[in-house]
Formats: sequence, structure tokens, C-alpha cells
Amino acid sequence: MKVARSIHLDFAVPVRRSTAAGLLLCLAGIAAATVVGVEFRGALAERARLDGAVEALADQRRAPVETAGRAAAATEFAKMSLELAIPWTKLLTELEAASNDMASQVSLLHVEPDADKHVVRITAEVRSLPDALAYLERLQRSPVLRYPMLESHERRKDDPEHAVRIKIAAEWRS
Amino acid sequence: MSPLWRDEVAIYLAPRKVALARRPRGLKARVSAATEVVVAGGGTGDSGPALARLAELLLEPTWADAAAHVVIADPWARYCIVPATAAALDAEGRRAQARYVLEDAYGEGVSGWNVVLEDAPPGRISVACAMAEGLESALIAALKPARLKLVSLQPQLVVAFNAWRRRLPRDDAWFIALEDGWLSAVHLTDGAWDRIHAARLSGEPRVELERLQAFGSLTRAAGSVAQMFVEAPPWMRERAKRTGIGLEWLEADEPGGAQAHELALQMRANA
Repeated sequence: MKVARSIHLDFAVPVRRSTAAGLLLCLAGIAAATVVGVEFRGALAERARLDGAVEALADQRRAPVETAGRAAAATEFAKMSLELAIPWTKLLTELEAASNDMASQVSLLHVEPDADKHVVRITAEVRSLPDALAYLERLQRSPVLRYPMLESHERRKDDPEHAVRIKIAAEWRS
Repeated sequence: MSPLWRDEVAIYLAPRKVALARRPRGLKARVSAATEVVVAGGGTGDSGPALARLAELLLEPTWADAAAHVVIADPWARYCIVPATAAALDAEGRRAQARYVLEDAYGEGVSGWNVVLEDAPPGRISVACAMAEGLESALIAALKPARLKLVSLQPQLVVAFNAWRRRLPRDDAWFIALEDGWLSAVHLTDGAWDRIHAARLSGEPRVELERLQAFGSLTRAAGSVAQMFVEAPPWMRERAKRTGIGLEWLEADEPGGAQAHELALQMRANA
């Protein structure tokens, strides 16, 4: 049931003011709100700190694996790319053709490509030094190779026919 | 003791009576000391004898060092209803309007009185009260030697109404407060005061009862069935209620019965 409203007429307190209990309650409320605010801020800071720590930990665990793995993979990939770029078919076909042209006076012993430098090193044995020079001239005419150079020659003393072992280096054309 | 947690000394100041009650602070309201004395030679026109008697009483250490809640008798107060205005007025403007209405009702005799106005929202009528000039400052001076701080100074009608308002209908009812030699009456509409009357009483209860009944019939509008609720000190109530017809006498168990009726009302109003 609604009742008649109270009348506030006070000469000592013309404007209604807070009671001591109200003031205390208000102060308690403010204090409680402050405590909660401080706690909340502390909790937020703690959460941010823990998030940062977790992130850092995750980075630490992930970074070396990723870096090392990526680097190795990249190296491997680059190496594979270079090796795949070597025109083996052309080179071997050309070297075989050159040997045939020399009427089997050249024995091809070893072919070693250097993918980084686009250089192929050829080790072969010939009967004599003029045969070696003829073989070099033949390679110089090759459309696959350029700048063939005789890097070394050595007469095999342990060989009864005294064959000459030669090493030729040439760049291949891409 | 903390100023926020001091004992209270309640004081009722009337032309022919001074009453005091000390209430220790605590969750449960109680009275630790009470007294009630007659003021010799007191009258409505002069508050001096009552204040002098109060100052004498306050010489006792029983009443020292507390917060003072003072109730002044209605003969030293004047009330009016301040109509609502279309224009929004600030606090000073509303007080000036209240002073104008009071002077219009009671004459220039109240021009120097202290005025206090109910804090009502804009567009609603409010109640204003004027208190005899110099009474507040004289009261503060009387309280000071006892280290009593005046924290509340209310007129008796307001205290009595707030004490009984839960027992009153919200609409079309009269609340009448009787004091020694004085009558104050307010009419309620929609839970708020809309009319106020005051009258000096004679010492003859039968005459005053007839007067109350006549007042009721004269102020009752056509078709109105306004009830009249009467608040009075026990000694007046006992003498008058046997013969009062059509009146509702407000009675309750007095909390802290050792203290004066007016101070018990104040305690109930603040409960």
C-alpha cells in the first residue's frame, strides 16, 4: 500500500544531506569498487604477462626448428634446382659424339659437373698429346660447350702403352 | 568519539515545556537519560524563557558532547503551501516565492523569520515553513557550552506527520497535531500536503473538541468523507477522546517510553 510521502523541512539542514550511515556505506562502496578495480587491473596485467610468457616460450620452441628446417630445406631445394638444371642428356650425348669422332682414340674416364659454376670437368686418356689437342679442338666446336681448356696432362708411367691422362674443363651452355 | 558516531541528544522546545533525551549511538535505538520540565512564565510570543531553561538543563554533564536534534513547538513556526510555478526557479527564487506566500498569509510579522522550503520537483506544490527570527542563533548559543552540535532543527508538525504518515490514507484526510495550546492541521491529497491550518487552543478540552468537529464539517467539501486523524500527547488524548466523535486518535506503544511524547515521535519518524 502506498503511504503519504515524508516531509523534509529542517532549518539546520535545508538541503537533504547524507546520513553518517549512508556516507559510511558510500565510502565502503567506493573502497570495495577500488579494491575490485585494482584486483581486476592486477589480473589483467598478470594475464598479459602470462600471455607474453606463453608466446615467448612458443617462439623459443618453434623458432630453431623452423629456422633450421627452413634453411636446410631451402639449401636442399637450391641444390636440387641446380642439379636439375644440369643438361645431362645434352652433355653426355655431345661427349659421346666427340669420342666417336676421335675414332676411339679417347677413353672417357670421368665426367664431373659443377652445377654452381656451370662447369664440367672431363677426365680422359689418349695415346698421345696430339690426340689430346685434337680432342680439345673437337670439344671447342661443340654447340653445348664453350671455352674448353686443357687443365692438365700427365703421361702414365705405370701404363705399358704410356697413355696420357688429360683433364679438360668447359662451361656448358644453358 | 568520532563525529560520525556520536550520541544524540533530542530536545523538544515549547513555550511552556522543555524535554531532553539522550540516545547512545548503536544499531538499536534506546534512551539512556530523559527529562521533561515546565517553563515558568513561558509564552508563544517569547522563546527566551524556554531557551534559558534549556541552558540551565544543559549545565548537567549528562547532556554534553553529542549531536543535537531539536524539535520546536508549532507556535514558533508558520506553514504555507507554495504553489507550483510555470517558470523554473532556482533555490533563491523559490525561497523568495515562499517568503512572499508566507507574508501574504501571516502578514509582515514573519518577514524576518527564517524560511525553509521542501525540496519538491519542478511543477509540484511544496511546503514552506518559517521559524521565529533569532530562535536558531539563540539555540546554537545555548547548545555551545555543552558541546552540542545542532544537526537537526525541525518543527513539531513535520516530526509528528512523519511519525504517523504510514497510518494515514493518501487521499482526502486531515492530519491534526495537538500541542499544549496549539492546533496544526494538514490536508492530504495524493499523499502530499495541499492545505494547512493552525489555531491557538484554549485550555478547555470540551470546547476544543467541538471546535475540531466544527473544523472538520466546515472544511469538508461537498461529497467528501475526509477522515480526521488526531495526534496528541497522552494527557490530552486521554482527556479528550472519550467525547470525540468522528475523530481517529493516533495511538501506539511509545518507543523509549521514558522520554517525552514529542521526542518519542521524533524517534519514530527517524526509524
